[in-house]
Amino acid sequence: MIAWIAGFAVLLVKIGLVLGVLLFLAAYLVWAERKLLGRLQIRYGPNRAGIFGLLQPIADAIKMMTKEDIVPEAADRTIFLLAPAVVAVTAMLMAAVVPFGPTITLWGRQVPMVVTDLNVGLLFVFAMSSLGVYGVALGGWASNSKFALLGGIRGAAQMISYELALGLSIVPVVMLAGSLSLVDIVDAQASYPFILVQPVAFVIFVVSAMAESKRIPFDLPEAENELGAGYHTEYSGMRFGMFFIGEYVHMQVLGALIAVFFLGGWRGPLLPGPLWLLIKIIVVALVMIWVRGTLPRLRYDQLMALGWKVLIPAALANIVITGAVVLL
Amino acid sequence: MNPDERHYRKLKPVPPQRFRTISEIGEALNALGQGFVTTFRHLFRKPITEEYPEYKRTLPERSRARIVLTRDPDGNERCVACYLCSAACPVSCISMQSAEDDNGRRYARWFRINFGRCIYCGLCEEACPTSAIQLTPQFEHVKREILSMVYEKEDLLVDHSGKDKTYNFYRWAGIRTGDRDKGEHEREDKPVNVRSNMP
Amino acid sequence: MPTLTIDNRRIEVPEGTKVIEAAEALGIMIPRFCYHRALGSVGACRVCAVKIVDGTRKGVQMSCMLDVEEGMVVSTDDPEAVAMRRHVIEWLMLHHPHDCPVCDEGGHCLLQDMTVSGGHGLRRYLGNKRTHLDQYLGPRIQHEMNRCIQCYRCVRYYREFSGYRDLGVTGIGNRVYFGREREGTLENPFSGNLIDICPTGVFTDKPARYFGRRWDLQRGPSVCIHCSLGCSVTVGARYREVARVEARYAKAVNGHFICDRGRWGFPYTNEASRPRAARVDGEATTVGEACAAARNRLLHVAETAGSEAVACLGSERAGLETLKAVAGICRANGWADPLFWLERRARENVAAAVSLLGDDLVLSLRELEAADCVLVFGADPLGEAPMAALALRQARRQGAPVFVFDPRPVELPLDFHHVPLAIEDLPECIRSLVGAAGDRETARGADPTVRSFTDQLAEPSVPPPPEAVAALRTSRRPAVVCGTDVTDAAAIGLAADFAALMKAQGRRAGLFYLMPGANGFGAALAGTEAASLEELLPRIEGGEIRALVAVEADPLGLYPDRGRIEAAMRKLDLLVVLDYLDTDSAAAADVFLPSTTVFETGGTWINQEGRIQIVRGAHRGGIPVSQTGGGGHPPRVFMEEVPGGQAAASGQTLTRLSPAEVKGASEWVRLPPDTDKQSGTRAVLPDPSALRFAPERTALSGAAGDEAMLTVIAVDRTFGTEVLSSRSPWLSAEETAPTVWMHPEEAGRVPLSDGDLLEIDAGGGSLVLPVKIVENMARRTLVIPRHRDAAWQRLGATRLRIERDCIRKAQPVGENAPVKESPPR
Ligand code: SF4
Ligand code: SF4
Ligand code: SF4
Ligand code: SF4
Ligand code: FES
Repeated sequence: MIAWIAGFAVLLVKIGLVLGVLLFLAAYLVWAERKLLGRLQIRYGPNRAGIFGLLQPIADAIKMMTKEDIVPEAADRTIFLLAPAVVAVTAMLMAAVVPFGPTITLWGRQVPMVVTDLNVGLLFVFAMSSLGVYGVALGGWASNSKFALLGGIRGAAQMISYELALGLSIVPVVMLAGSLSLVDIVDAQASYPFILVQPVAFVIFVVSAMAESKRIPFDLPEAENELGAGYHTEYSGMRFGMFFIGEYVHMQVLGALIAVFFLGGWRGPLLPGPLWLLIKIIVVALVMIWVRGTLPRLRYDQLMALGWKVLIPAALANIVITGAVVLL
Repeated sequence: MNPDERHYRKLKPVPPQRFRTISEIGEALNALGQGFVTTFRHLFRKPITEEYPEYKRTLPERSRARIVLTRDPDGNERCVACYLCSAACPVSCISMQSAEDDNGRRYARWFRINFGRCIYCGLCEEACPTSAIQLTPQFEHVKREILSMVYEKEDLLVDHSGKDKTYNFYRWAGIRTGDRDKGEHEREDKPVNVRSNMP
Repeated sequence: MPTLTIDNRRIEVPEGTKVIEAAEALGIMIPRFCYHRALGSVGACRVCAVKIVDGTRKGVQMSCMLDVEEGMVVSTDDPEAVAMRRHVIEWLMLHHPHDCPVCDEGGHCLLQDMTVSGGHGLRRYLGNKRTHLDQYLGPRIQHEMNRCIQCYRCVRYYREFSGYRDLGVTGIGNRVYFGREREGTLENPFSGNLIDICPTGVFTDKPARYFGRRWDLQRGPSVCIHCSLGCSVTVGARYREVARVEARYAKAVNGHFICDRGRWGFPYTNEASRPRAARVDGEATTVGEACAAARNRLLHVAETAGSEAVACLGSERAGLETLKAVAGICRANGWADPLFWLERRARENVAAAVSLLGDDLVLSLRELEAADCVLVFGADPLGEAPMAALALRQARRQGAPVFVFDPRPVELPLDFHHVPLAIEDLPECIRSLVGAAGDRETARGADPTVRSFTDQLAEPSVPPPPEAVAALRTSRRPAVVCGTDVTDAAAIGLAADFAALMKAQGRRAGLFYLMPGANGFGAALAGTEAASLEELLPRIEGGEIRALVAVEADPLGLYPDRGRIEAAMRKLDLLVVLDYLDTDSAAAADVFLPSTTVFETGGTWINQEGRIQIVRGAHRGGIPVSQTGGGGHPPRVFMEEVPGGQAAASGQTLTRLSPAEVKGASEWVRLPPDTDKQSGTRAVLPDPSALRFAPERTALSGAAGDEAMLTVIAVDRTFGTEVLSSRSPWLSAEETAPTVWMHPEEAGRVPLSDGDLLEIDAGGGSLVLPVKIVENMARRTLVIPRHRDAAWQRLGATRLRIERDCIRKAQPVGENAPVKESPPR
């Protein structure tokens, strides 16, 4: 009983920690993104709220929370209200299986540095990621607005397409690690990160991950100059904020997954595990921002062509080659 | 071939471009790389932003902000309350009432612009046949009290001619007013004598 | 029926159609200035150029001048034709002033539209513009001759179509001028149409001058309620104020035009004195409270004196919904029968006319124009229904002789035969015409009722006018017009018999009644059993009736016996008035409830030919912004409530104050779904043929020819007598001054000369009026306009017979001045 309670307490602490870091990071990723984008475009970016605009996320949060929460009259109310939660919650749940350090021993207990070590962790990640599509599609549909609907449909189509490439690109990694558990995958990279042996899978994964998180150059679902704001056109206040948080959490989790699958997860010299993971996440995020600051949005047919005609065949070929190599 | 057809022919799908040679792939990657390098370099440049309240630059004369009603070179109100600006205004923020003054001039008895609604598109100025309504570069006139954004004629009328220094509608209109009778306007003949037989 | 091709589309049109009309039938609007459907073609402006690709005359031609031919091929967008039209616009603009911004036509100007759509934006001609001096044309029309493009529409309308001569054209070439010989008010009571018809801003609406652009007006289709014709109009309101009334095309009724009474009669709706608040015992209160007060008091009267002690009076100016509500409230509460008329004669006359008018005979105003011989009995078209006069003129222009049998000094803008006979002689006159022109031989072949009727016809003492007999003999489409205002049921019945008889002879005969009020027909339908106030008065005087609800009715101001009605009203315990006018009755009301005008809540009106016309409100109503203070500004702060916006339609208010629930109020007026929105639908009436040829109408009344008696008739005039339009300040100058018309022979007997004062002792007191001696009226007759200043309410009836010694010359004394006794407005 005591052990159970202690285990539960530890779990709660871990969840709290992970959520706290995720949300804090999400907030400051926004800030970093705006700031960095500004500089990439020879502007300042936010610089009025606090020094370097550091209080900007807080100001934004206050603004969003105090804004009126508008529900369009013709919207499907229940679904409209739930959709942002789906996006945000699924993104956060994905973080549950990401290991952020080596197992430590606390008061004689083995405490793994992961919220939960599922042996099908990888599948869980993909399952959650697919569920996130619902938030987008339903949000777009329930708004009962043309722009939102178009955005929602685009989002669904895009995420389904890229999910394939995303999943397929990971198969060689699983083949190398011999496990679907993220903890095991990280352990398998004890000697070298998989990026060294799987550069093609890495590139496919990164590109697909950006498409999954609907970021430029893959932001067609929200393409503001065509669709207003796409699937969240009709949202306001904190509900809009939830989409926003979902997107940035998603970005971090994908960053974490990139780290886990290809960059050795929390492993690294000198610094403690969690810090390494954090650094890797941030580096991935910064690169994503850089990409955003550089590349224009793809056309819809280009997007689909890239997914189906380039990434998926490449991923399949990669599987075959890896399979052959492993077999040999 | 009807015009529509012609149009669609023009839009025939372009055959998809293929990377035929390694060099083309190289070029594409190079271009991509250049883009990244360019943006990366920007990180170390000083931003070109001019920070607004600290630095105020003089706006060009034709910038579109606060609207005024100007006067003609003789110092009379230019606006003849023709309702064209209010018709042109896409947000319907101009209203007025036309009337005739003792001199026979049509003028605005009252004239109101709701700046709380105005989008400073300048269509009113474009529509105005008398150069009366003009947008000025003076853009800092936002107030917290929404009603104080509703400007009446007294608030709008200024003592100059604005951008158009010469035009005077009533000198051309051919309308009989206090200072000009029929035939006394620009490029006008004396009134026809209808009782004369001469051609 | 030639078939031609216009812009690659084929159409078959009747012989004699102009190309411009054929194109219009295809939906191709060829530009035009001088051509107008009602006025025809003159080819003055040259803007309707099209290219005739195939036909006897090829090349660029004027489409308004060219008759269609079989196999003709027309192109409206041929470059040559387009260039021609562009040049026309450019030359018309050479001398057009640069004044669109201050021109009231701007926004609905044909020239402006053509200039813009033709793409002429820059003046290339650098020479001087010719100018013209303008004229003062009266308080209603503004003249600005610089804008003229010499299309000649105005003079063609003014002189040819409407038949007045005081506007014309002078000069040649570039100096052509359209105006009067000298300044002064236009004499034409249809002059307002110049405003609609001039394609530019030469003639503009003066009362609406500089009020606002057309696009800013809340405009809506409506129907004129200033007389029984119910012409179609378009109402424009802005800032809770009706600004303009324009003619609206109605194929079957007024065509393109309306009269000035209809155009400028609307100010009653804007009046500052219009009562906007409810009053109980003179204290202003809310409509809800006043309704409650009225309900309680009515209930009290009904409880103490019986429900029969309450009466409800509607009027012929109210809409059908209101009249139905009056009938409904009386039925629901068991009150006395609903009243719709002040006088018994009016009720009987209109009831007779309505019951005799059938689908087989009825003529619309448009059909009246097509008649080839018109007989007018006991009607002054210009005074009672002005547009009817214009219709008669069109009939006359097509060759129809017009005969008017009426005691009044009738004036019409056409040459017509006036037979000035005393009103009592009218039935006999009709009888004689029926006998003479009715050709008994043919009638004998018809059905037995007709035969026995013609056989029994008394030999007339007066022979019918031979010209009329001759004209009738050859007429194929004779029309009978009959008034219901000064006539009696016998004349009305005979008019129907006459028309029916001619129909029986195989001609396309028609019948056209004029009725009092805009909804006289509706009032006759709403309560077939209803009595009139005149018949009810003894019961009020006897104390039997203790409460009266007057709905859009003004017994005090309009009952022909002022003294009697005042006394009667004083006897009432309760007078409830629902109205939108500040009438005398409204001032005297114990409970007053404001109601809305046709411009606000619309309604349904039935015109004199039984055409049901639905009107929707054009604006929301309320006190005009110009009267709510603050220099005519709309308020800066948004208001939740419209000032003065509490009033509702009388019918609605009436159901609210009814003690018992009035059932089915929403079902009262239901029109068939296929009702034509523009021209309404005709009321379906029981077959009137059984009522025609009643034997009692064959006998002579014997009342005629009594030299000892004089007949006094109080009559309607074009301006100044109709309740609503006589409140218009812009028409007041044209009102007929309070006067009494007499034949020189009658004047000589008194003796009197023109301008002398005549004192008349009548049923309701004595009145003194200046005499106007005119030749063209009946003997033994005094005609008095029902002008508000004429004290006609002392006559005691609108038509009465008095002894010769009841009139005498009066001395011009200050206090005998012909003023009304009623409290000043
Ligand atoms: S600038 Fe545009 S929005 Fe503002 S008043 Fe003028 S027309 Fe209206
Ligand atoms: S367009 Fe010009 S002249 Fe016309 S109302 Fe507006 S400001 Fe006055
Ligand atoms: S005044 Fe008007 S209607 Fe008459 S000719 Fe001139 S433009 Fe035509
Ligand atoms: S003729 Fe009668 S209905 Fe027609 S416009 Fe004149 S007053 Fe109105
Ligand atoms: S419309 Fe044909 S010439 Fe004027």
